[in-house]
Amino acid sequence: MSKKSLKMHACKVGEYFDSTGDGDRTLIDLDHVYVELGGQPVLQDITFTLNDRMFLGVIGPNGAGKTTLLRVILGLVKPVSGTVCVMGMQPNELKGELHHIGYVPQSVYFDQIFPVSVYDVVMMGRICCIGRFRFAKKADKEAVMDSIRIVGLEGLEKRLIGELSGGQQKRVFLARALCRETRILLLDEPTSGLDIPAQQQFMDLLTDLKERLGLSVVFVSHDVNVLAQHADEMVCINRSMHLHGKPGDVVGSERLQEAYRCEFDFLVGPGAHHDHDAGRG
Amino acid sequence: MLSFSFGRTALVGGILIAITCSLMSFFIIVRRLAFAGMGISHAAFGGVAIGIAAGVNPIVTAGAFCVAVAGGIGWFSRKGKLHEDTIIGILFSASMAMGVVLIAVAKAYNQDLLSYLFGSILAVSWTDVIILGVMAALAVGFMVFFFKELLFFSFDEETAMASGVPVRFVYYGLLVTIALTIVVSIKLVGIILVSALIVIPGATGLQLSRNYRTVIVYSMVTGVLSVILGLQLSFSFNVASGATIVLVMFALFLIAVGVSPRRTYMQTLLARLRGPAAVAPDESMPATADAGLAEPDAGTPGD
Repeated sequence: MSKKSLKMHACKVGEYFDSTGDGDRTLIDLDHVYVELGGQPVLQDITFTLNDRMFLGVIGPNGAGKTTLLRVILGLVKPVSGTVCVMGMQPNELKGELHHIGYVPQSVYFDQIFPVSVYDVVMMGRICCIGRFRFAKKADKEAVMDSIRIVGLEGLEKRLIGELSGGQQKRVFLARALCRETRILLLDEPTSGLDIPAQQQFMDLLTDLKERLGLSVVFVSHDVNVLAQHADEMVCINRSMHLHGKPGDVVGSERLQEAYRCEFDFLVGPGAHHDHDAGRG
Repeated sequence: MLSFSFGRTALVGGILIAITCSLMSFFIIVRRLAFAGMGISHAAFGGVAIGIAAGVNPIVTAGAFCVAVAGGIGWFSRKGKLHEDTIIGILFSASMAMGVVLIAVAKAYNQDLLSYLFGSILAVSWTDVIILGVMAALAVGFMVFFFKELLFFSFDEETAMASGVPVRFVYYGLLVTIALTIVVSIKLVGIILVSALIVIPGATGLQLSRNYRTVIVYSMVTGVLSVILGLQLSFSFNVASGATIVLVMFALFLIAVGVSPRRTYMQTLLARLRGPAAVAPDESMPATADAGLAEPDAGTPGD
């Protein structure tokens, strides 16, 4: 779709707050989003919604625009056209509501001798709760310790972040994303670089936290298997939307192979086969 | 030293500079801006030359010029047009070249220029100390009021941005603060040596601690101690104050490297001093950078 055929629409302000009933509220709504970077189209015609307490898996091959999609939701990249509504607001209007959004980036390229402890890193997540020109209060310190506890890192809070293993660092960044009043959790390939048991443990922890804390999750990954087991819905993108539906429908679709440009067995493992066709594309 | 009026002004001015530069040094080290600091300080030569050639106070022109260079470094690197080190290399050498040409055209190779290059304790007046105090208050104020934003931005810029940290303001604010601090420090240590003041204290602190709070304390102690000892030695032996301060700072850095708890022999020594019951490494200073850690629960992933 050419960008000229698309129009910008305003969010229906108040939609999020006026809605009632858990599970029905639309927290994120993307409608025909078109994004360019450096004059090149990166995302075209992206349309999906994230409802309250939903686990949405976003899959796609490397370079599909998955990270850009998260950056659009966070307001770090502005779409050329289409509508992005987060909690009923455009991302650039979210200033006062950012404490409801937790973000775990794909990689944090920090110096291994950066002199901050696990506690200090998690405290960074409280920055939008503390406010400008203010210092952390008792409530902030308690929130940090609670987050460290729920991700299973109690006792390591004084450790230097660079001394932790990759799996532990991922947990620290998850704790940082959770130590605010998080309602929406955006994760960008948080299991990349982890071995299979570590991936499984991270996913189990995430699923448990989602239920306990009532989170709505957008989980970006190129790994179909990881998400198919945990997501309520899946979206497959490769610059544009290829699939959107229940995990069983997405995994069983031939359009998944088109998006990844490789054989089905390479994506979901040998022997696994589904006859279902796609959801909507 | 304190019996001379110029000794007192130099000491007060030097301590103000040391406090400002040492606090800034922490961010320069963790944000890896050491080359930017060096580039801005050397670019100050161009600004000083403009002032000398135009007959204006060189510190004023150097201040404006350094802020412009800092802004240029920030703009080019943020826009991704050039790597940060590339643009620093270009602006730094071009500024110095411009300075040389201007000085030659204005026929201004004199003692005054040398004092800007290498610093002159005699050149520091009470007026300079007042200007230094105002600048130090502004720079320290910026770093204190935006400390958590600067720390978050230095550690993980993208997530800081996603959390509402005004990353652009913080980045340019830090560069401008570096530029202005460098300019006001020129009179004491000179253009050539000022970059040492914004790099060595932070590097020394990082050798002695892994907690940012104590890194900053050690950094400030290094800066202030270097200024006091350096000025006293320069008075006693009648040598250039700026160079002496930098050499004292370098000596403190070498001592810190030698006694750093990161060194294996220091860990062994500390363990022996604590006795057999305290062989386990101190929590505030873990044994080694690559030390293995007990996982929080059985089977927790490790890389």
